[in-house]
Amino acid sequence: MSVILTKKGGRTDHKAAARYRWGSPLTYLVALVFIAICLGPVAYIILGGFRSNSQITESPAGFPSPWKFDNYLDVLTGSTFWQEVGNSLIAATATTVGVVVLGLMTSFVIARYRFRGRGALYSLFAAGLMFPMTVAITPLYILIKNLGLMNNLAGVILPQIAFALPVTIIILVPFLRAIPDEIEEAAAIDGAGRFGFFFRMVVPLSIPGVVTTGILAFVASWNSYLLPLFILNDQSTFTLPLGVQAFASEYSVDTARVLAFTSLSMIPALIFFALFQKRIVGGLTGAVKG
Amino acid sequence: MNTSPLTHALPRPRSSNWRQRLEILVFAAPAVVVFVSFVILPVIMAGYYGFFRWKGYGTPSDFVGLDNYFAIFQDSAFHEALIHNGTILILSLVLQGPLAIVLALLLNQKIRGRAVIRILIFVPYVISEVIVGIGWGLLLQTDGAINDFLDSVGLGALKADWLSDPQIAIWSLMVIISWKYIGFAVILFLAGLQSIPEELFEAAAIDGASYWQIQRNITLPLLGPTLRIWAFLSIIGSLQLFDLVYIIWGQYVSSTAGTSTMATYMVANGRDAGSYGFGSAVAVVIFIISLIIALTYQRFVLRRDLAGALTEGEK
Amino acid sequence: MKRKKYTAAMLGLLASTTLLLTGCGANTDTNTGGKTTLTLWHNSTTGEGKEYWEKTAIDFEKDNPGTVVKIQPIQNEDMDGKLQTALNSGDAPDIFMARGGGKLADIVEADQVLDITDSLDPSLEGAIGQGVLSAFEVDGKLYGMPIAVLPGGIFYNKDIFTEAGIETPPTTVSELESDSSAIKELGTSAIALGAKDAWPAAHWYYFFALRNCSQDTINATAKAKNFNDSCWLKAGKDLEAFMQSEPFNDGALTTSAQQGAGSSAGLVANNKAAMELMGAWNPGVIASLTPDQKPLASLSWFAFPEVTGGKGEPGAMMGGVDGYSCSAQAPKKECTAFLNFIAQKQQQENYASAFHTLPANKEAQQAVTDPSLQSILAAYNDAPYVMVWLDTLYGQGVGNALNSAVVDLLAQKGTPEDIVKAVNNAWTRG
Repeated sequence: MSVILTKKGGRTDHKAAARYRWGSPLTYLVALVFIAICLGPVAYIILGGFRSNSQITESPAGFPSPWKFDNYLDVLTGSTFWQEVGNSLIAATATTVGVVVLGLMTSFVIARYRFRGRGALYSLFAAGLMFPMTVAITPLYILIKNLGLMNNLAGVILPQIAFALPVTIIILVPFLRAIPDEIEEAAAIDGAGRFGFFFRMVVPLSIPGVVTTGILAFVASWNSYLLPLFILNDQSTFTLPLGVQAFASEYSVDTARVLAFTSLSMIPALIFFALFQKRIVGGLTGAVKG
Repeated sequence: MNTSPLTHALPRPRSSNWRQRLEILVFAAPAVVVFVSFVILPVIMAGYYGFFRWKGYGTPSDFVGLDNYFAIFQDSAFHEALIHNGTILILSLVLQGPLAIVLALLLNQKIRGRAVIRILIFVPYVISEVIVGIGWGLLLQTDGAINDFLDSVGLGALKADWLSDPQIAIWSLMVIISWKYIGFAVILFLAGLQSIPEELFEAAAIDGASYWQIQRNITLPLLGPTLRIWAFLSIIGSLQLFDLVYIIWGQYVSSTAGTSTMATYMVANGRDAGSYGFGSAVAVVIFIISLIIALTYQRFVLRRDLAGALTEGEK
Repeated sequence: MKRKKYTAAMLGLLASTTLLLTGCGANTDTNTGGKTTLTLWHNSTTGEGKEYWEKTAIDFEKDNPGTVVKIQPIQNEDMDGKLQTALNSGDAPDIFMARGGGKLADIVEADQVLDITDSLDPSLEGAIGQGVLSAFEVDGKLYGMPIAVLPGGIFYNKDIFTEAGIETPPTTVSELESDSSAIKELGTSAIALGAKDAWPAAHWYYFFALRNCSQDTINATAKAKNFNDSCWLKAGKDLEAFMQSEPFNDGALTTSAQQGAGSSAGLVANNKAAMELMGAWNPGVIASLTPDQKPLASLSWFAFPEVTGGKGEPGAMMGGVDGYSCSAQAPKKECTAFLNFIAQKQQQENYASAFHTLPANKEAQQAVTDPSLQSILAAYNDAPYVMVWLDTLYGQGVGNALNSAVVDLLAQKGTPEDIVKAVNNAWTRG
């Protein structure tokens, strides 16, 4: 994992010195082709929402003519969409917070304590990388059922936290290991206990890693489909991916409206990602600004 | 790392140190409890249910020993799913790896518009599998947008049943997978590139190395660990692929179209058929296969990379 | 100062998580302001069928002021999986759609469905008739209320037949093959097939089996739990031979049955295909998919053609009975009142006209005006016997395996022998 294991003193940020220049035309051409490929299907979905069904049937690959706004307006003025956005937000936020808090605490133990069983603890979580949720889904569903958490967002949140822990711990441990011992000594001299050290030093210093793992957990939860499919049967608890699928089958006749609903449900995740994309790359490099 | 004259602040292992034990417990217990209950326990439960014939009502009572496992290994539909998983695994590495490296190198240059280009390339990674499935499904239908477009630019001869022709479907799936997940590979590689000290490039440039020499002799070797980690995550992802196939091909025809995976086989023959015992047995088989592949990979490829995580001090 | 802020933020986040985890459950209690709530799952996600249920709920609430009916439409293809999950976890809807056969027997065995034998309105016994009621009987007890009888056969577009120079619908498989070729000459698909959902493709096998296997064999197979009788293999071989003439639309494998203009019903509705093998719900589905959402005027019907040397009695039919059951946890009095309510003559007439299908209540069958439905009804009343769909008859596990194997055959990925093998394997899996 030495991507993430880079110790302090890796890359220093030449923010002032970073001079952006125009790249070669070839670079832009390659980038342009890739962007076109990446965005084509997305554009198809978004534009399709502005067309009518007969337009789509007559000429599947055409542009809207005339532009119709009622598909989007219908979705935005209906309550279903907003309720599902709310459910997705609750699930993703709670998952992210849970993963970060639990992951940080465990990583702290693995990174800064020496005790018998430390290796075993790390291996336990590292092994979790090999436990795809797909494998556990049937018994997981039975377990959630027995806990009485069916049709309850908590029944989705708790397993998502558990399954996101391995990646989180693997990313955070090197961060915490990179905190110089001198800082810990200084904290000890100041009379801060281990808890004090954790809250005063560890938490602030691990922010970049926390942001990275948080974003990964958030996006994974926002898009997760299989677990909610098993756990949430009641329409009022649906998250967006389930909602999109239900909408797509409920209005299967109405392709244009399905496309409008689908493109609207992309927007929140895209905004969230656009805001934080720098932090993801920054966090993964493990450059601790000490 | 400089060792200060002071003693290490890291406490020495003292078994009598109850305070330290308490701290470890307070910090680590919550995560361990959640992780064990929702990750480890279900896998153990799957192992238990796999020995029963059980429709999911009440408690399992019809013990059938290893019958479920014999049925799985004799079922040609499972063999096919396994082959598809293997195909997807290898093609994912071959198709996405080189492309993602090129893109990451491109986006690592300090050029104008870099941030915008980055965001746009990551778009597919951020949108959910369900949306990708619905969108691509409509595009690739026999009378969908892609065929319509080919017609309108005079390439009607290239039209195909992208999703329903068993010869083509798996390739369509590969295109969709690559499109969706390449953003993640690029993110990882960019992070890896950024952790390479600038000074190395500057020194090489001063020595008169060309751009390509620098990439070949400095960047790629130093990107090794990142590549190996990405490959590991990609392998695990390929083994558990479910969402995209289930949404595009529905509940029944993925095996016919040649795009079924072990996970879709499990859901179709477990939950959808109401055979929860059998489904659990399939889960165990998937788990064992993933475990063998992952352990082998770690043993032979990742060993050096993970070693640093636990050893004291610097390399 | 900064440190304090982080600590506070952390604690705040922790607190909010705990709150979220404890307080965001779905509220699915069955009591709203002293009224009893009945939840209902049905499979009509579009058009008139959806409206029928909304209207019926309001009518029922008027007659029964103490009850509220909460409706959730679920797409037909998602229904089985979702219902199974809900029944497993004991939070099933109070009223759900049922189709009898092995699937119902599984739920009965698990004590998840209400025995309504004593609650059946006596007047309905004669109106529906024992033959139809028996579809929902397990060990002599009644577990569901039939509301539609849905025999299957081939729906076709008269105008396209005329255009292709076909005067009378085919009565043998070889005639069907030559008629299909004539229609393909026009540049139209001959037979629309929604194989993505598996069961529409499987219906082709079912009907070949109905023609090849005797009534006794089909019934005995449910107990013998294997497909070893030679007629099952012959049905597969007949289907394989029929396929050689390439009668189905391009891309049939990823064509869905009922979803959108590109589905098989949509192809018929938009004059892009001439025929479709379906149950009596099809006129309603097609009506919801025509450009103006009106019934297709040129739609007609003929019985599945006969095969040479088959052991099935000529004129025998296969079909389903749609009905509704109460789950074990449902409030019995209100729930059975609702089932009796929807089976009454007036409600059944509304149902028949909304769904363009055949009501289970015979008194309401006079109201059927659609010509294709009238010809089904005539054939149905003359049929020596009516078998239920094989996937319903033999239960979910076997049904799924059979359907998938037939899809494989149609995609030329499997053989008739593979169908027999897949079914036998599924029976050992239980």
